Amino acid sequence: MFWQQLANGVTMGGIYALITLGLTMVYGVLRILHISHAGVFALGAYAGVVALSLSGNLVVITLIAMAVCGLVGMLMQRWVYRPLMGSSRIVPLIASIGMFILMEDLFRLAAGPYVLPLPAEVPFGLDQITTSFVTGNQLIVLSGAVGLLILTWLVINHTRLGLAWKATEQDFETAASCGINVDQAVAMNFLLGSAIAGAAGVLVGFYYNSVSPTMGSVPAYKAMAIAVLGGLGNVWGTVVASVLLGVTEAFLVTSPVGLLLPRDSIAFVALILVLLFRPYGLFGRR
Amino acid sequence: MRKSVSWLLLAVTCLLVGIAGPAALGAEPIKIGLHAPLTGFAAADGLSVKQSVELAVKQVNEAGGINGRPIQLVVYDDRADAKEAVAVAYKLIEQDKVVAVVGGSYSAPMRAVAPIYQQAGIPMVAGFAVHPDITRAGDFVFRCGMLGPIEGAAAGEVAGNILKAKTACLMTMDNDFGRALAEGFRKRAGELGVKILWESLYPLGEQDFTPYITRLKQLGPDVVFASGYYNEAAQFCKQAKELGLKAQILGEEGFDSPKFIEIAGKASEGVIIVTNLNRDDTRPVARAFIEDYRKLYKMEPDMVGASNFDALLVIADALRRAGSTDPKAIRDAIATTANLNGATGVIRSFNKLGESMKPIQVQVVKEGRFRYFAEVSDPAIITPPEK
Repeated sequence: MFWQQLANGVTMGGIYALITLGLTMVYGVLRILHISHAGVFALGAYAGVVALSLSGNLVVITLIAMAVCGLVGMLMQRWVYRPLMGSSRIVPLIASIGMFILMEDLFRLAAGPYVLPLPAEVPFGLDQITTSFVTGNQLIVLSGAVGLLILTWLVINHTRLGLAWKATEQDFETAASCGINVDQAVAMNFLLGSAIAGAAGVLVGFYYNSVSPTMGSVPAYKAMAIAVLGGLGNVWGTVVASVLLGVTEAFLVTSPVGLLLPRDSIAFVALILVLLFRPYGLFGRR
Repeated sequence: MRKSVSWLLLAVTCLLVGIAGPAALGAEPIKIGLHAPLTGFAAADGLSVKQSVELAVKQVNEAGGINGRPIQLVVYDDRADAKEAVAVAYKLIEQDKVVAVVGGSYSAPMRAVAPIYQQAGIPMVAGFAVHPDITRAGDFVFRCGMLGPIEGAAAGEVAGNILKAKTACLMTMDNDFGRALAEGFRKRAGELGVKILWESLYPLGEQDFTPYITRLKQLGPDVVFASGYYNEAAQFCKQAKELGLKAQILGEEGFDSPKFIEIAGKASEGVIIVTNLNRDDTRPVARAFIEDYRKLYKMEPDMVGASNFDALLVIADALRRAGSTDPKAIRDAIATTANLNGATGVIRSFNKLGESMKPIQVQVVKEGRFRYFAEVSDPAIITPPEK
């Protein structure tokens, strides 16, 4: 019971981390609250459904969705956020909310209001494994999440691109005057962040076997809470906050506390407490 | 260029009028309004409602319309939102001047508009909204579907008397719908001596049920009575199967959608539900609805659609008997509806409150389809309240 509940919580945490990661990355570099990131997440799931006709393999589908979402993320940055760069911070935020609503309705118009299944095939028959406390599908989601987190860590800490992001994050103009191609760094940031959101979309769509136009609505605000909890812009803080939240939810929803406090509110109670006592987030810097 | 477009439009219009049926040609149509949540979280139900009511209108018009006049449907999207539904209601009453309304949306919007139709004196027949307050708005408001507590009691009957369960747990969706069902289940199951080990509430839109299922596994009940719409329902059944929950899952009309089986896959096999539509019904009306729906829309019909299909039939039947399009005359005719054959069953009559009475269907998923399992027709359970 305890181990199974822990496995349930960690899996949820992995999903939260994947959804929030790109959001945190974008905020870190551009200081934009990129709400339509949740739309990109849903787009990934839809790209997965379309890709299903090309290949049944989950890995191939995920790669296709990552490519599509990476591209769309870059285009959003190029055509929406870049022209708004000079304006006050509320302007890109409103544009982002608008884009998110637009995307949800486009999904509905293009694919219909019904939930679509995403029955991808799993390599190595991983989904057939059932142990006493973790299911095959949970293992798939977890391995996908861990793989992508390691990839992100490598890019941030061991590449020139990661270095360029850190420089851009600290000071846009100085970074540019030191010869860093700021535009390119920002574009790559959107590319990677959106690609991860796309992968998250496919994994979530696969895990629940359901893809729907509004699947990004809850992640849109929950990811925001997690990003703030972990310290906006702090990638590792995000991962820790995600897992903490996932595990807390798993243990709380079936306890008497769960009757008083709906699951989705736990993130926000934590958010309020953190904002009161550590406004820079659990792991953020002052 | 513009000219050719106008010609094209004219041609299309002629074609559409042609399709609408020769009997309908010429005579002034009778306008009937429809609330359907075509966008937002309930969009899938909205589409089902719209398609089913359009099918009913098509069948009525092809059979010669109402005393020679065709029915014209005016459909608006209320997004399953009470504020939106109020605007729709005023539009239907003042602008479109409809003579009757099919309430094809959820409890919250229908509760909001029922008093408006009551005040305007326009009869409304709610399809699948379960909240008791809707018909309490007054004598112009009727309901074709089931009341939540009655449906829940039928589920309690299935658990105790048909499945012979000794213990049960409840997974209740935390809204009007889920709570009303749970109330009925607790009462009836309690009378039959079924012990309720645990009840958990979960929010609308929940996707991850693994923590709840882990707890259910530990408790080991004979039956789990779960409420939810098809997406939550499918997630619950799918994850219960993966985690190895042994209990029999007993659902309700929210499970009643081909999408439930599609998403839950093999995990839907053997799930039993109480609902408002029997797929194996042999009565011609039900067969015509189920088969025409499949043919016309290339998908399986569901409970949501069938209930609103019946709501339109109730209005059409009343229009025929009233022999007039005066809303008051239509209301009086609906109130005296007797033994009307609908897709969801025979509607014997509407009681003083405007509630219909008919048997509750119990279906089981077998080989990827809903099939007949039982029927609950005990008057002690299915009789709706008069107040």
